Amino acid sequence: MPFEKILAAIDGSEASDRAFAKALELASLTGAKLTALAVEGPLPAYAATIGEVDEVRREKDAFFERLLGSTRQQADLAGVELEVELRPGHAAELIVRVAKEKQADLIVLGRRGHFLRDHVLGSTADRVSELADCPVMIVR
Amino acid sequence: MSELAVAVILAAAILAASTISVEVGISVALIELALGVVVGNVFDTGIPDWLSFIGTFAGIVLTFLAGAEVDVPQFKCEWKASLLLGSVSFAAPFVVVMAFAYWALGWSGDAAQIAGIALSTTSLAVVYAVLVETGLNQTIIGKRIMSATFVTDFGTAAALAILFIKPNLWIVAFVAVSALLVLGLPRLSPWFFGRYGNRVIEPEIKLVFASLFLLMWLGDKAHSHAVLPAFVLGLALSNHYATHRTEQERLRVVAFAFLTPLFFFKGGMSVSVSALWANLGVLALLFGAKMAPKLVGVYPLARRYCAPHGAFTTLLMSTGLTFGTISSLYGLQAGIIDETQFSLLVAVVVLSAIVPTVIAQRFFQPSAAEEAGREQAVTIGQPLLEREGR
Repeated sequence: MPFEKILAAIDGSEASDRAFAKALELASLTGAKLTALAVEGPLPAYAATIGEVDEVRREKDAFFERLLGSTRQQADLAGVELEVELRPGHAAELIVRVAKEKQADLIVLGRRGHFLRDHVLGSTADRVSELADCPVMIVR
Repeated sequence: MSELAVAVILAAAILAASTISVEVGISVALIELALGVVVGNVFDTGIPDWLSFIGTFAGIVLTFLAGAEVDVPQFKCEWKASLLLGSVSFAAPFVVVMAFAYWALGWSGDAAQIAGIALSTTSLAVVYAVLVETGLNQTIIGKRIMSATFVTDFGTAAALAILFIKPNLWIVAFVAVSALLVLGLPRLSPWFFGRYGNRVIEPEIKLVFASLFLLMWLGDKAHSHAVLPAFVLGLALSNHYATHRTEQERLRVVAFAFLTPLFFFKGGMSVSVSALWANLGVLALLFGAKMAPKLVGVYPLARRYCAPHGAFTTLLMSTGLTFGTISSLYGLQAGIIDETQFSLLVAVVVLSAIVPTVIAQRFFQPSAAEEAGREQAVTIGQPLLEREGR
């Protein structure tokens, strides 16, 4: 069997949606176990009011609830068993760490994230491909 | 430049600030301050009266919001440790910066006091964001740091209100109305908000704004500042807002969409880049004068009450932003400090929001999971070192 455990990193962006669709397809073809990892990015740095932090936090919670719900729905439709994870942290490092924890033999992720900050220090996809011990599939 | 032209430039810059903030993940306030510096130094806009007026009101709204965001039950659990930590965190830099500005920089007594107040603050929001992001806000140490931060900010608000009073008869009315609002509004609010709230015309927000304007007017008449009663009024209503999140959310929407951007732009536009450039050495010294007493004063207490994360706690207690900017703007507007002094103070305030936070997160950030496990047996309110027999 080519792949037994696939980790798909998702963030709700178009590229991530395409990557998750590919991961589903692969998992369905190979019978691999699929984990979808959503990384909760940082809160606004150097905030002036607690309100700003709280509101962003609430928006994030609502966003990820929707994202994980729709991810589960897609997996159900494809008949693939799915485990979902939502964790806070630095995207590239976290994806690599969770891949190790889950002993994933493939990481699937999109080429570009949502925001400018996903690109200014090099893309998450580039860094994951540098740091990961297993093969990485970057979906355009 | 006409007032409308300034409004157009500001509206565009405010819009740009919010989109940049979302894209880069840095707080909108900091971006607004930075773009304010650009607008103020590139365009010949000056500060129109309307911007000055709304900006001043926005500063009071920010103070009210800071009070309303305090977790009072949490503070009650942690008040002993927090009182010590927070008092030293306020007093040490206040005294050192004031003395440094007066003796070493030759600032006037009042200007030195403004410097001491502006650089003694700890940013409740910067600290909160770091703690929430790491999950440490659920641990005793996190709660203790938040409560201590509140004490420091209270010290700042009190100093700003008390030190520059030139008493006259209006002070009686100012104190009486402040007390009446602080005691009365929390009692009135359930009925008022129940009867008139939850409508798009927002009578509950108008009640708060009317109260704050009244405090500002009486504070002005009494030659004092409404920052302390506004903070305490927010604090008095914090329990109400904790149970009525929608009202708090609406107040935040009004504040963040219209008021606070004008406050931070006003602050940024008042900064002179050329004055900063000419005084880079003084800027570094003032930054040192803020950081050194914070580190030396807070660290021993942080080791006692927040062990083993003394360095992390001390660095977080060294951050500053909103109250520092409010104090500096008050000083500038009241003619206590000049443009150069204001520029230096705001630059130090912004640096203190960034530098200690980055160092704390990069080198000293504890793991929330480990900390929660370690704290399981520790009683709230008891010094951790004591508990561990050290």
